[in-house]
Amino acid sequence: MKKIVLLLSLVATGLFAQAQTVEEILNTYFENVGGKEKLSTLNATQMTAKVNVQGMELPVEIVNTKDGKSLMKFQFQGKELVQQAFDGETAWAHNMMTMVAEKSDAETTENMKREAGSFPDPFLNYQEKGFKVELMGKEDMEGTPCFKVKLTKKPLMVDGQEQENVVYYFFDAENYVPLVAETMITSGPMKGKISQQIFSDYQEVDGLYFPFSLSFQLKGESGGQSLKVESVMLNPEIDDSIFAFKE
Amino acid sequence: MKKLSALLSAVLLLTLSAWAQDPIVLKGNELFGAISARQIGPALMSGRITDIAGHPTNNRVIYVGTAGGGVWKSSDGGLFFTSIFDDYNQSIGCIAIDPNKPDNVIWVGTGETWTRNSVSYGDGLYKSTDGGSNWKKMGFENSDRISSIVINPNNSDEVYVGVLGALWGDSNERGVYKTTDGGATWERLLAGTNNTGCSDLVMDPKDPNTLYASFWEFRRTAYSFSSGGANSALYKSTDGGKNWVKIHKGFPAGPYGRIAFTLAPSNPSIQYAVVEAKEDKGLYRSDDAGASWTKLNGDFGLTVRPFYFSRIVVDPRNPDVVYKGGLYGSVSLDGGKTFKNMGAMHADIHDIWIDLNDSDRLYVGTDGGVYRSYNAGTTLEMVGNLPVSQFYHVSLDNEEPYNVYGGLQDNGSWYGPSSSPSGIEARDWSSVGAGDGFRVLRHPTKKIIYSEMQGAENIWRFDIERNQTKVVKPFPTKGEPKYRFNWNAPIELSPNQPDRLYVGSQFLMRSNDMGDNWEKISPDLTTNDPAKQMQANSGGISVDNSGAENHCTIFTIAESPLDENVIWVGTDDGNVQLTQNGGKTWTNVVANIPELPKNTWCYHIEASNFDKGIAYAVFDGHTRNDMKPYAYKTTDFGKTWTSIITPDVHGFARNIQEDYVNQDLLFLGTELGLFVTIDGGKNWSKFTNNMPAASVHYLALHPKTNDLVVATHGRGIIIIDDISPLRQINQEVLQKEVHFFKSPTFVMSEQSSFGGTSTETQYVGPNPNPNAKIVYYLKKRHTFGAMSMEVVDSEGNKVSVLDPGKQKGINIVTWSYITRMPKTAKGKTFAFGGFAAPRVPAGSYKVVMKKGKETFEHPIEVSYDPQSLIPVESRKLQQEMVQKLFDMTESLAYTVHEVDALIDYANAALAKDPKSAKTINAFLKEINTLKEGLVITTGDNYVGSAEPQLREKISNLYSVVVSNYDKPSNTQYENYEELETRYNKALADLGKIKTKHWKNIEKVAAAQQLTAFSLESKEDFLKQ
Repeated sequence: MKKIVLLLSLVATGLFAQAQTVEEILNTYFENVGGKEKLSTLNATQMTAKVNVQGMELPVEIVNTKDGKSLMKFQFQGKELVQQAFDGETAWAHNMMTMVAEKSDAETTENMKREAGSFPDPFLNYQEKGFKVELMGKEDMEGTPCFKVKLTKKPLMVDGQEQENVVYYFFDAENYVPLVAETMITSGPMKGKISQQIFSDYQEVDGLYFPFSLSFQLKGESGGQSLKVESVMLNPEIDDSIFAFKE
Repeated sequence: MKKLSALLSAVLLLTLSAWAQDPIVLKGNELFGAISARQIGPALMSGRITDIAGHPTNNRVIYVGTAGGGVWKSSDGGLFFTSIFDDYNQSIGCIAIDPNKPDNVIWVGTGETWTRNSVSYGDGLYKSTDGGSNWKKMGFENSDRISSIVINPNNSDEVYVGVLGALWGDSNERGVYKTTDGGATWERLLAGTNNTGCSDLVMDPKDPNTLYASFWEFRRTAYSFSSGGANSALYKSTDGGKNWVKIHKGFPAGPYGRIAFTLAPSNPSIQYAVVEAKEDKGLYRSDDAGASWTKLNGDFGLTVRPFYFSRIVVDPRNPDVVYKGGLYGSVSLDGGKTFKNMGAMHADIHDIWIDLNDSDRLYVGTDGGVYRSYNAGTTLEMVGNLPVSQFYHVSLDNEEPYNVYGGLQDNGSWYGPSSSPSGIEARDWSSVGAGDGFRVLRHPTKKIIYSEMQGAENIWRFDIERNQTKVVKPFPTKGEPKYRFNWNAPIELSPNQPDRLYVGSQFLMRSNDMGDNWEKISPDLTTNDPAKQMQANSGGISVDNSGAENHCTIFTIAESPLDENVIWVGTDDGNVQLTQNGGKTWTNVVANIPELPKNTWCYHIEASNFDKGIAYAVFDGHTRNDMKPYAYKTTDFGKTWTSIITPDVHGFARNIQEDYVNQDLLFLGTELGLFVTIDGGKNWSKFTNNMPAASVHYLALHPKTNDLVVATHGRGIIIIDDISPLRQINQEVLQKEVHFFKSPTFVMSEQSSFGGTSTETQYVGPNPNPNAKIVYYLKKRHTFGAMSMEVVDSEGNKVSVLDPGKQKGINIVTWSYITRMPKTAKGKTFAFGGFAAPRVPAGSYKVVMKKGKETFEHPIEVSYDPQSLIPVESRKLQQEMVQKLFDMTESLAYTVHEVDALIDYANAALAKDPKSAKTINAFLKEINTLKEGLVITTGDNYVGSAEPQLREKISNLYSVVVSNYDKPSNTQYENYEELETRYNKALADLGKIKTKHWKNIEKVAAAQQLTAFSLESKEDFLKQ
């Protein structure tokens, strides 16, 4: 009879996961989405997606590279508009009125430099990047028990003052993929509100899992914006001139 | 071994099958999913501020503690404030910022120390190490109220805490505590007594071992308040709190009441104390660090209501500039000898914070919010975005949109709309009462509002249309005793007789003519205990007879919606009285309620909508220091009662709301938030989606919109729109993978959205989402694989694409009834009209959700706005014209696409064969001229815009017709014909140009081995 109790308790331990360390959570996460090794081979991704604006699905293209270059462009009425681009030195965007490229302000540019290292995954080799992670505990998110992990990246400049750059990731306690990432808005009248990025529809691309649905919303408030990913290209050939600011 | 494994698998099977059959009980987030609350404020009157703390080196950062609205942070010098303490106790005693790590470490002591009758209670000490994003409880769970936190400026781990302690009963947790390990462990250095706690604790900024602590003996009951006694004292320690001595030399004779203490930061030997005493009360000053005191001033402004105003603030640079909280706030420029009132602002000043660089810039916390001044408090402006208003009550009307009515602590009575164009703004709220406001009721059929002020000093009948008021409060008639009204006196409508009004003193009074005449329909329904009617002597050392301690009064009245003769009455001294014959005879049924301590305040009785024998009674024992929730249900007119409280419920309860449709759906308001049960009280869940842990004083459910409207005492009015999905949850639903909830017919509102007169810093309450709400339940969160949602029409054509929610529990997807924008021709700039999409016509639609390989469908109905005067035939004409213009827009897009392709091809041929320039340029010239008439080819999207061409003209007409609901006008028809003619001519011209030139170009191209010209079909083009 003692044995049964012992066995049952073993079963029970299997059912109720033990206390997790943040390393264990991240390792399981990496395993479940395709492995650290595979992720480390990524130099760039090119993503095509649709944004649903008033029922019209606008095509979006997002390119990110390991060395911190990025481009996000939309198509409106057949015209391409760069919403934000960065070539490692200069951040810029198209002005909606003139549709001409304009440089972003100094602080935005500085912060884009400081954000380098988030590709392809901010948790990948986070220590080498000087990032910090901390398990904050378990919390329900999306009606689902999650591990809340605090990620502290390099500080950002906010209204002329340096500030901590914190993102909270909520990893599903069952399958260890992130369901939600939360950041606090740091400037303007929305300051202090929590902005949420919600991940779902994870799908495999050449052995790696990516969320094919990304939603953005303010915590507790209705309305938001969704990005429906249609394709992800791994290590595409990229002409670096697409990131560059042109007068 | 075989046996063992068989047994094991049997056990496992048993367990598993037991799980399979077990009912699914969803709690919290899982249950409510995407159902979220809407905080509509208002912030125009704001609410009581208890403490203000500023960052020691960055004057942009200010923290504000409130009486019932938690902690708010400003990072822009007080222009905008954000709530940073939503999930925790909302009653704030004090806030302290660690001078060593001011950006990160913030301490909050909960439990307000301005101990008026309506004050809430705290649940301990909290610490944030990241500037207020995350909080951790650091003990003092049962402290009730924390008055002070001081941090050693040289050592963050060394913190002292002053615990004032329980207001309503004995406590042995009071005193001064110290930690040397950042709050992990605490040692008590100076104990209070059962009724004496630490009301001020101050550290000498130049010597962290020198501490000053004032101790206050105090006690409140439901019917009395006592400030002062032999244990009130002011202490000093010079050895980090190990030893303490009383420093009373020069003080008046004791006993003392509350002693306010502070020292001048620029010269800590200069100290001020305001001493509450029978004789010689007033401001005392010491110039020798407390060794001796001299009385300087006993003005009203300094001595008024010490329990409410005991804050002294000295200018950080000038030891002779002294501010004192009070009815108006006082300021002295001569070291405390003389004082003048501060400038005009809301009365009742609790704290002042002076900018660290500029003494002219200061912030004041009042009973009506935070005020900013730039001239040292001479003139002030109110912060307009702190929605910490303190409602006592809420009621609703049947207008569309419905209005919300309620009275507030020290801020009168108000009503305002539940939605308003551009959001619910300050200007949308109307004042309908003065003083402290409580119950505000709208006549069920007439434009009449009843309101009142404290102790029913006035009961007003307000005629909205004529803007006239009449006082309708009843008076005792010959031979009757004085009427005893509660501070928060009940006035109540009849659900059966529109002109009927009830008022409760110790008697129940009824008027059948809107308050013009009254009849007494009960004997004294209270215990009429003379020992609880001594409020005139209340206050202790300083008499404080505000009426707030009136007791042995009726507090709640409920006439059954099913029988006007069945009336329930609950009293503040713990009686539950019932009449079943319209007041001829009364029975006290409280003795039938199990496990309810005697004389527990009956806070609310809810007469059921389902059966006249059913009622709910909620009791509040907090004034007897009993913080347990009590809520009971009877089904037999009070003969027997069952508790419906479970351990899920936190905080003492004040109000309950029964659903109108599902008897098992109940909402319970407690001191710590809102709780919901869907199984008649077997399980409760705290509602936390955008609903802070605020004290809920009253609940109302709108019968038409099914909105739950929550009156909080510190976070204003909070609305949960349409709770009807909660009615539909049962085990059958919960066991399904996906379940769509039944929805009402959706109405496409035609309301204009003009509005918006608020300035940038004023609070604007969000409107309800006007769109169709598609509500469904997911048994499990959708994380892997594709999931999509579409709306299709009755013929199965795709109408709209939606973004489905994927969380476990309830998801809400909104649909704005619009289809898609037309594909618009590519030009140099945008045709802004092309960004509009047509609305669908009224009718039947289907939501189609694809999840992995499975497809789920849900029918919905859409109707036109019944308030609109537009006939259906006109709508048809509008829709036809929209379709024509939509098609024309897309046809033109294809034409321009063709023109561009032809131009590109010709240019490619020209590049290959420059000799063909003459032929090709002739073509290019003609076709470019044609194109310039089709779309804008120069300029920008703003004032550099070029003259509109065909695309822009079509799009302009389209955008106007599509935004209207009515049939197009004659000029619109004629304009359309003109555009159609022009477009047809352009098509003909294009044909002519092609006939004339294209063969020649194809020849050139063929000679250069260019691929033959091809163009995708219009259908394919439009799909892209």
